[in-house]
Amino acid sequence: MSDRTENLVLVLPGLLLLALAFLVPIGQMLVLSVEGENGFTLAHFSRFLTDSYYLGVLWRTIRLSIVITAICAAIGFPFAYIMAHVGPRIRLWLVLLVILPLMTSVVVRTFGWMVLLGRSGLVPDILRDLGLAGRNFSLMHTEAAIVIGMVQVLLPFMTLSILGILTRLDPRLEEAARTMGCSFLKTIRTVVLPLALPGIVAGSLLVFTLSASSFVTPNLLGGSRIQMLATSIYRQVTQTLDWPFAAAQATILFVGVLLILIPYARLTGARNG
Amino acid sequence: MVDVLLKDIRKSFGSMEVLHGISIEIARGEFVSLLGPSGCGKTTLLRIIAGLEGVSQGSVEIAGQDVTRLPPEKRDIAMMFQSYALLPHLSVAENVRFPLRMRGIGSREEQAERVRAALETVHLSAFAERRPRQLSGGQQQRVALARAIVSNPKVLLLDEPLSNLDARLREDMQVELIEMHKRLGLTTVFVTHDQEEALSLSDRIVLIQKGRVEQEGTPSDIYARPATHFASTFLGTANLVAAEIEGHGENAAARLADGQVLPLAGADAQPGPAMLAIRQEDVTLLAAGSVEGALRARVRTRVYLGARSRYVVELSDKELRVLAPNDSVFEGGEDVMLKIDPARIRILPAKET
Amino acid sequence: MVRAIPRWLKISAVGFVILTGILLLAPLIVVVGVSLSQSQFIAFPPAGLSLRWYREVLSSDAYLSSAWISLQVAVLVTLSASLIGAMAAIGIHRRKLPGSGFLSIFFLSPLVLPTIIYAIGMLMVWSALVGPVSVLTLWIGHTVITLPYVVRTTLAVLSESDPFLEEAAQTMGANRVQRLLLVVLPQCLPGLAAGAFFAFNISFDEAVLSLFLRRPGLTTLPVQIYGQLEFSPDPSVAAVSTIMIGLTVCLIFVIDRILGLQRFSST
Repeated sequence: MSDRTENLVLVLPGLLLLALAFLVPIGQMLVLSVEGENGFTLAHFSRFLTDSYYLGVLWRTIRLSIVITAICAAIGFPFAYIMAHVGPRIRLWLVLLVILPLMTSVVVRTFGWMVLLGRSGLVPDILRDLGLAGRNFSLMHTEAAIVIGMVQVLLPFMTLSILGILTRLDPRLEEAARTMGCSFLKTIRTVVLPLALPGIVAGSLLVFTLSASSFVTPNLLGGSRIQMLATSIYRQVTQTLDWPFAAAQATILFVGVLLILIPYARLTGARNG
Repeated sequence: MVDVLLKDIRKSFGSMEVLHGISIEIARGEFVSLLGPSGCGKTTLLRIIAGLEGVSQGSVEIAGQDVTRLPPEKRDIAMMFQSYALLPHLSVAENVRFPLRMRGIGSREEQAERVRAALETVHLSAFAERRPRQLSGGQQQRVALARAIVSNPKVLLLDEPLSNLDARLREDMQVELIEMHKRLGLTTVFVTHDQEEALSLSDRIVLIQKGRVEQEGTPSDIYARPATHFASTFLGTANLVAAEIEGHGENAAARLADGQVLPLAGADAQPGPAMLAIRQEDVTLLAAGSVEGALRARVRTRVYLGARSRYVVELSDKELRVLAPNDSVFEGGEDVMLKIDPARIRILPAKET
Repeated sequence: MVRAIPRWLKISAVGFVILTGILLLAPLIVVVGVSLSQSQFIAFPPAGLSLRWYREVLSSDAYLSSAWISLQVAVLVTLSASLIGAMAAIGIHRRKLPGSGFLSIFFLSPLVLPTIIYAIGMLMVWSALVGPVSVLTLWIGHTVITLPYVVRTTLAVLSESDPFLEEAAQTMGANRVQRLLLVVLPQCLPGLAAGAFFAFNISFDEAVLSLFLRRPGLTTLPVQIYGQLEFSPDPSVAAVSTIMIGLTVCLIFVIDRILGLQRFSST
């Protein structure tokens, strides 16, 4: 047996699993999206792209994902910077702070937000006490609820992605900038931010795809009126049982995700290779 | 008795040939260094002896047996890696026992006894139950050495094993290696880019350059009589000075580019263009003035080295490096005379093919 | 590190970290709080303290049977993903296969493909080619989702090990099988173990694939909770959720012991 055969034997079970149980399902979904009663058709796509309701769903998905990504980046960068610069003990606690929500089931986390944002929840209560909201004010089933819930779900991804870059930066770069007359904030702007940019962009692309395709949080916090692409797909599958149309929507999501993942792979690949 | 026989070894990676037909014989019990700059192919050659690389052409024999097609585990060898390659999940003793276990040498008790003896040889008996991580670099190195000798291999292969140690430890290890080799008499192939290491450890040096054997011989032979420009500059960093040889025997002399003449009485010289290899420690610096047979030069820089100084001097528009004792000191800009013992000048062809 | 940072910035940094911490932890704290409530209704802060909802959960067939299914699937997934993933990682790490760069991207690809896309494809294929979904479907589906985690953590530790260990073992006479079991596998172990715990955690918590692949009698714990949340949540949901949070905390603790959490700051 040659080395090559041995390695092939090692890799083979995984390759077979992924080919049969990963590529085939995705292929099947792509095929189904263009399958009509008389063979090939683009009817499911044209139905989606000509119906103002579904275009609205698509637009909301993109719009909310952009907002969520921007908020995650705005919180994630300073948070990651602080994590990279505190002592090892505090850093461990901060890592724990990020990992714990990341590893908790999305269902559980979303439940927490339902309690917090609902009519008798803590957040509307506080807003009412501050006189910022009316009597029956509830955040549930609003876009704001989706954004808040999703930011909490996705912030860990952004933070870890930026932290990965920041911990590899030479700390002497910042010191050098200071000795050359940069103030602290100016150092952040002219040295740290540009160098961390690949991490921020990679994290943003990741967060964007995850939020555009996530389903549990929008469905529970947005309710049935505020649909996003993934919730719409789920509805087609479980309620109207229109699988080809669901497949077409999933294909649109798939293509969108692929378009974003290619630059993502470039960025992270260049970093690892 | 020949223990390792390499016949016309060629090795290509893709379309690039890195070894261009190397043949070496190594006798039983001999300590041979493969010496050369990084990228010359010496490590590839060692890995070919180990069986870690295949050959594109040629054959490898160990103790009279053709092992060219045998994988490393079937060859009676032991190799010490630059990174030591100690198994981090095993204790020191288990690491040393590993080759015995794998090769099925001896019963459990015999193995334990051999491990104990090997660890004693490297003065690490007290550390048998530690993990490699818990040892210092020098100790890890000695574990690797114990592991290499424990199976009493036909050939011991050492891949730059001293390069990760600091200067002091390296000297200690060199002494240890020499004593070990004397005691056990293992046929040893040692790869290094450090000429001093090669000179001090080996019975024989094989100088390798760009995938070819440049020169081979005993350390003193190869040091005193380098055969090529490369050999003279790589070993002992000689200065190469272009000159025209005039006259024969007692009257022979070398005329330098600026017209100065250097007597070569007694040297083995043929008239015509030549390249003089002059070692930096073979030059004596004298105060400026008229000294017979000496060359006029000017000191450019002096680097203080403690016992000696290294001078960069300008001779006939060329830079020359000179190592001189500090009993008389010359500063930058000073004119000096250079006196060179003709017997120590090596005359090489002007051009090499 | 540059110490000369304006004082106001340091103070606001502390405030910022606290606020972010609240954002990250608030939903978890609320869930734990609700689960301890005495009242029938979901409210935070809880009205009175009691463990009645935990008793409720532990005597509920619906919760217990779905927890049993989740546990079965998670254990099976952990075993299969670890075995297949470790083998793949070793094969990829040796970089002797053609296109090993492509291979590692391929093995990591389920990580970045949105689960919903995979879920819908899996549902369609399974019902078209096999029939009704079963524990086997979930097992296979979760193995695909978790495989990249095992591959990644195993590759990470392998890439830090001494690249000459295998060759050294070879020069010491170890054959193929011995090298794999006595040299390479022990090197993988910390990464493999961490990957296995990740796989367990993800499978146990996973909701999207399990939602698409559910049928009566095949409801995992997260799907059960999801169903409750859609219709009639009472504090027993919070009690189950708290148990799940507790499990996650335990797993994080174990992973920290095996691999060290500080690794998360450099991946």
